[in-house]
Amino acid sequence: MNSPDNHLATRLADYNNADSLIYGIGNIGRQDDGLGWAFIDWLEEEAVCPKAELTRHYQLHLEDADRISYKKKVLFVDASKSASLRHFQLEDVKPKMDFSFTSHAISVESILATCKTCFDTTPQVQFLTIKGYQWELQLGLTAKAKQNLQYATEYFRQHINGGVTYEQT
Amino acid sequence: MSKKLVIDPVTRIEGHGKVTIHLDDNNQVVDAKLHVVEFRGFEKFIQGHPYWEAPMLLQRICGICFVSHHLCGAKALDDIVGVGYSTHTPMLPTAEKMRRLGHYGQQLQSHVTAYFYLIVPEMLFGMDAPPEQRNVLGLVEADPDLVKRVVALRKWGQEVIKAVLGKRMHGISSVPGGVNQNLSLAARDRLLNGDEGLISIDQVIEFAQDGLNLFYDFHEKNREQVDSFADVPALNMCLVDDDGNVDYYHGKMRIMDKDKNIVREFDYHDYLDHFSEATEEWSYMKFPFLKDLGREKGSVRVGPLGRVNVTKSYSDSTPLAKAALARFHEYTNGKANDMTLHTNWARAIEILHSAELIKELLQDPDLQKEQLILSHDDSAWTGEGIGVVEAPRGTLLHHYRANKEGNITFANLVVATTQNNTVMNRSVRSVAEDYLGGNAEITEGMMNAIEVSIRAYDPCLSCATHAAGQMPLVVSVLDAKGNLLNEFTR
Repeated sequence: MNSPDNHLATRLADYNNADSLIYGIGNIGRQDDGLGWAFIDWLEEEAVCPKAELTRHYQLHLEDADRISYKKKVLFVDASKSASLRHFQLEDVKPKMDFSFTSHAISVESILATCKTCFDTTPQVQFLTIKGYQWELQLGLTAKAKQNLQYATEYFRQHINGGVTYEQT
Repeated sequence: MSKKLVIDPVTRIEGHGKVTIHLDDNNQVVDAKLHVVEFRGFEKFIQGHPYWEAPMLLQRICGICFVSHHLCGAKALDDIVGVGYSTHTPMLPTAEKMRRLGHYGQQLQSHVTAYFYLIVPEMLFGMDAPPEQRNVLGLVEADPDLVKRVVALRKWGQEVIKAVLGKRMHGISSVPGGVNQNLSLAARDRLLNGDEGLISIDQVIEFAQDGLNLFYDFHEKNREQVDSFADVPALNMCLVDDDGNVDYYHGKMRIMDKDKNIVREFDYHDYLDHFSEATEEWSYMKFPFLKDLGREKGSVRVGPLGRVNVTKSYSDSTPLAKAALARFHEYTNGKANDMTLHTNWARAIEILHSAELIKELLQDPDLQKEQLILSHDDSAWTGEGIGVVEAPRGTLLHHYRANKEGNITFANLVVATTQNNTVMNRSVRSVAEDYLGGNAEITEGMMNAIEVSIRAYDPCLSCATHAAGQMPLVVSVLDAKGNLLNEFTR
């Protein structure tokens, strides 16, 4: 994995309250684009963070700035095509208006900046990106994407069980 | 040296298209085309699926106007099982009103997205403004209170959709012969009165009126530019009720000319008797036209501008929209309005109209009644159905056939963007001539003017070709031999 820059809230237990939102982004009909939702599936199956609000959506919208304004902590989870990403990455998000908006897409940074500008609040936001490989119209993750999802969930599982530092793979 | 200018793909539209503009040696426009380069697939892969899956699967063509596809498919299924309008058996009141509620909620939400997110930034900052400013995120920095109201409007529209279809996106409400649930009192009261984080219907109407006022201000300050921008002819078409006014859910198909004479009026089940479709090798999107008038004279404009041109008046139950429509008609002395940027005026009127229609519906006790589905037996099965609704972008048609086993054997979709194909190309040509013609240097603002002419139609190229795409923008200038002269990406 690419090591998290810091450990603001790398323990999922920190998200286990009603003030937290864990938001899976993606489309399960497009192979590895379903990684964000698959992470939410894992949370539900393992009953991890039962008190947090869990949600799945195809893409971010500007009104998500309003949605996160009611929360103290937010974890966005999405698939990534990044060539520099080995398995997964967890990073803190700072508000930044990057003018990436189209009706199809808007960045997590811009959502947070909009939240700060329009709603006068800045929740702590982290972004978990998991490497995917195939994006065609087909159900199901590829084997390599499943493996990366497992690396990510194992990372969090070890933190749940006592905050063990995950070895880089 | 003659040049070919390419905008590929056009930004802030749904789907993937490109524009080519051919300039001669004097930089005069000799040709301009909007190409749609996605390939359609939904009509093929729905074949073999059970008929009742069609409205659920085909709504996934689009993440914006999915309710329209769902309802259009549902109306076609009503035909297939032998109930509903084609058999002169009206839907039960609760079912039809629930369908309408979801439809109006989506129209509000879709128009708010197109108008405020994609068009208002250009109205406020100008077509020549830097791309990073003429963008909704530029709007966030310039007027955060406006953005808060816009977010609240879209959120409210999504809550209407969720209350009817169960989900913000790609939910299910309509079933053959009716709907699967009514509207609970709690949901009704929440939409009427607001809730924590949710505005009330009266605030929705207030914000919608504010949005329309934005256009009035913009128009007042830029009248010449707005009125002369892509003033292109087309017939106007929409579904109308018995009084000749738009009915977004059901009615007769009416087509009117510039003088508002009725050119054609027919039952939409007879669509294929009246329309033919031309094809071009340079685009996957077809060009529908009235058979007897031919392609040049028989092409139609649909969507907000087409609808307000056809409609005489709105109901007294939507007084603010009714007054706004009267003002719109006065501007052209009762003639049809061909000014492309006035589509945004029409769209703002329809946001207000949708909000007032929803308020009227929410106060209707029929929405809480329990009779939801018309009963039908196997003997009523027809195996073929056609549904038409007025989607946010215009007239949408779904046509299915199913075999005795109940599996789809044929599907045809004619979407609003396809109907607008010819008039969109006319708009591109008009703007290219006015903004690019004779100029040796092509600026970012000139290129954006071309895109503005397309965005006025809020085209959904994904719907029109039934595929999905990503939208980086590459602009290329090529000479007549195809050599690259210039290229930039944004």
